[in-house]
Amino acid sequence: MKSIRSYHLLVGVLVVAALFLTGCETGHKFVKKTEFKDTDKMVLTFAGPVDEAWAKNIANFSAYEKPDPDIVLTIKEAVLSSDKTKLTLIFAAPLNTGEAHILSTSNIMSEGQDLGAAVLTIKKLYFGVLMTIFLGAALIKNFVFTKYLGLCVFFGCSQKRSTAIGMGVVFTIVIAFAATMAWALYQFVLKPYQLTFLNIVVFIGLVSLSVQGVDTILRKVNPALFKAFGVYLVLVIANCIAIAVPLILADNEYTGWESFSLALGAGIGFLIALFLMACVREKLELAKVPPSFKGLPIAFVTAGLFALAFLGFSGLSIY
Amino acid sequence: MDPALVKLALGGVATLGCIGLFFGIGLAIAAQKFHVEPDPKVEAVLHTLAGAQ
Repeated sequence: MKSIRSYHLLVGVLVVAALFLTGCETGHKFVKKTEFKDTDKMVLTFAGPVDEAWAKNIANFSAYEKPDPDIVLTIKEAVLSSDKTKLTLIFAAPLNTGEAHILSTSNIMSEGQDLGAAVLTIKKLYFGVLMTIFLGAALIKNFVFTKYLGLCVFFGCSQKRSTAIGMGVVFTIVIAFAATMAWALYQFVLKPYQLTFLNIVVFIGLVSLSVQGVDTILRKVNPALFKAFGVYLVLVIANCIAIAVPLILADNEYTGWESFSLALGAGIGFLIALFLMACVREKLELAKVPPSFKGLPIAFVTAGLFALAFLGFSGLSIY
Repeated sequence: MDPALVKLALGGVATLGCIGLFFGIGLAIAAQKFHVEPDPKVEAVLHTLAGAQ
């Protein structure tokens, strides 16, 4: 048992390490690191000292956002650190750090040597991008409270806390599985064969398929868990978040990891929403509610208040 | 009809058919591999109950 656990830990550490490493490629062997600083600066770290005359001349650099190569960003100033290995480019306008940027330089001059031109990609650490997508799906653009999706299951399963947790956990597992498959199918089958107009049909099939698959496997592998969660498993098909997530990841051309974190965020966000609602509705059972508001009407009012409260997350950005 | 469109449509039918067949066979194999014998007692009890809910 212990060896299995340490094996899992090792795999986890390797995956996280791989995610961190993907942010460090630069594209030129003399440039060690490229990164954003504040909202309007890019910092280049070189492997050795560069010539001051070359570095200070801003005409040597041109930068643009990767999706818009024809809009060249204006560089206001270039500042070289005292050991001449760190160059800070200050831009006239704030940068959209969520997008990857391409910075091309003229031939890099170091101690009189010409090291060739460089085309550098500058992007946020991939882990940060994933966390942004995750938090966005879970809190800022919570599917239940800001997009009003999955309301039927939301009101149906939020009467008791235990039910809410069961539904939320099952949904998270199924959606993570289905979204990853949807990404693979969209990128490797639908797009190459120009069948993207069929994506709704394919994704609906995929969601029901993964529900059926999880149902079959769980029944044998973990009967206790199946007894606890089996009822909610079928309900996942009726949840519109399960179809919204594949459509969003197809629209935004997300990569595999990004799709996974979007699905995980959607699942956790749904779990949070269900749990909060169940807590309130358990208390509402004991409260004095006017007869015309008993049951669903007061639940809708509560959901509206939660939606207002979730507006408070709208400015949240950690990475 | 534009032959390119016909090709696209036929290709779509063929691709989706293949996907469906692939996943269908996958599910069938999974169902066979993870087959669980249903308990006859459960069936019997369910049968005697009213079954309104």
